[in-house]
Amino acid sequence: MSAKPDDTPFFIGWATPDRRLWPFLIAVAVMAFVAAFSVSYLVAATQDDPGNGGRMGPVQAVGVLQTQPYPVLHVLQSEQLAVGTTVLLMGQGKNGVQGRADPLDGQIVRVNGVRLNRGELNGIILRGGSNGVMVADGEVEGAMPVTEDLGRWRLTGEICDGNCLAGSMRPGTGLAHRACANLCILGGLPPVFVATDSVGGSEFFLVADADGGPMPDEMLDYTALLIEAEGRVERRGGMNVFLIDAASVELAR
Amino acid sequence: MSVKYTPVQWNPNKWVYDAVLLAIVAIYISVFLRLGAAEADVSRPIDGAVLRMRAFGTCAFFMLSAILCIGPLARLDDRFLPILYNRRHFGVLTAIVAWTHATYVYNWYFNFSQINRLEALLSSNTAFGQILGFPIEALGVFAFVILLILAATSHDFWLSFLGAPLWKRLHLLIYLAYGALVAHVALGYLQDTENPTFALLFSAAALGVVGLHVAAWQVGRMRSAKGEWVAVCAPGDIAEGRARIVQLGPKERVAIFRYDGNRFSAISNACAHQNGPLGEGRILDGCVTCPWHGFQYRMADGCAPAPFTEKVPTYDLRLEDGQLMVQRHANPPGTAVDPLAVTGMEATP
Repeated sequence: MSAKPDDTPFFIGWATPDRRLWPFLIAVAVMAFVAAFSVSYLVAATQDDPGNGGRMGPVQAVGVLQTQPYPVLHVLQSEQLAVGTTVLLMGQGKNGVQGRADPLDGQIVRVNGVRLNRGELNGIILRGGSNGVMVADGEVEGAMPVTEDLGRWRLTGEICDGNCLAGSMRPGTGLAHRACANLCILGGLPPVFVATDSVGGSEFFLVADADGGPMPDEMLDYTALLIEAEGRVERRGGMNVFLIDAASVELAR
Repeated sequence: MSVKYTPVQWNPNKWVYDAVLLAIVAIYISVFLRLGAAEADVSRPIDGAVLRMRAFGTCAFFMLSAILCIGPLARLDDRFLPILYNRRHFGVLTAIVAWTHATYVYNWYFNFSQINRLEALLSSNTAFGQILGFPIEALGVFAFVILLILAATSHDFWLSFLGAPLWKRLHLLIYLAYGALVAHVALGYLQDTENPTFALLFSAAALGVVGLHVAAWQVGRMRSAKGEWVAVCAPGDIAEGRARIVQLGPKERVAIFRYDGNRFSAISNACAHQNGPLGEGRILDGCVTCPWHGFQYRMADGCAPAPFTEKVPTYDLRLEDGQLMVQRHANPPGTAVDPLAVTGMEATP
């Protein structure tokens, strides 16, 4: 009595597999091709909308410069921006313009650069040096808008960097973008709180500390996360400013 | 087999294997960037750099998932064994795809700053104490470094230099890399996506890896033998020149070979070279021949024929009530054991 040798294919790994295995291996390869095509298409085609933020081309504007907590321009005259708009001022790359703006605080200035826009959020990436921001002596009359106190609020939302959020990067929000957002804020770019609800008609809030100064570094642990934060909200020209009490911040999920 | 290190050279089989892998990657990347992204419902286009980092990043994840599925699939179904061989090429290609993803991330998110990019990578997110917001870059770097180490040591030279047991342990780090990669995606991109498609595909891949490993482990456990002497089968049930494999423990198998008509010997099923399945091999030139790389061992003592030096453990056999029985505990590698000659069976020269 003796078993017959079975007919399972034998091969040595580095040699060509037995011919009887070819149909199976070809079927596996074809299935892998189909899977690569299908999975890739599904993943790519179902990516989320990064929003309508983007670069809108060159812009010139004259307005009142306010440097705290971060430089903004209250527009008095511009072909590209409506009068009364308040615009974030930013430098090239991940660099703020605080150094250039501070000597001009409260003055009427002319700015040149590239306009960023995402809904009601506007920003300008300034050209380098004095070409980006300069005193506009006597060109336009105007004054610093009156600050309106909108009271204390507890808001839910996400702290983003204003540059990427407004359209320098698409997408410019979220956890995958968190390190980039922190680098932008560390570089002096303005942080913006995107709230789930609006206050005074706006969901975007320039972030300040409780005293109205720049956002403290310890808040960087909360960027790109859905958080709840409490603080005073002020309306400065066309922009809300959220003076966050750092001790009140907690994760919302 | 080696008295000195001699690598297996490229051959048509490897070329075909690698060509299929390259075609899979080319299909994935080109479909992602050319077809899929164009169909995404977006107000304004997603940045090209972000698209490319997503294409290569997700590709690397699914490739690594597939690599980890090959092992258990081969344990569950022998027909996957040809895919297991050359899996190292799959791993090296995955490391290259992951490198491309990392390069796009490094040159996009960490660029345009006055802070050095490497410093920015290490310092821009240090919230290690929280789960949501955990520095996913650190997880990605950790997984990437392991992939690079494994790719760099994947060549037969390192297998020979380190020895199979150490090399195998080193390459088990792939599971650590996969865990870090799952966390990298789950705590990062997955948190940002509202459309559930990627989350479903990601979960299916990760659960597939876990499920196949559990299934292979469970099958191995069910096949595990109990007792000092383990019943194999009737001697006549083993074909001449072939083996019957018996699972002795979750990670221990013995191969009982029949040769010369009525002689039986038992050696470890794991080849000393790369743990290839000796029991799926054949007796060629009087020696058991491993199906993976052709390493050979004598039946009587588990030693490779001179001048080669590899050895595998041997096992004692006995006949009891017409059944072959194998001793549960192995002899040291290279221990000579007299073949069991079964009376009543015809010997062949």
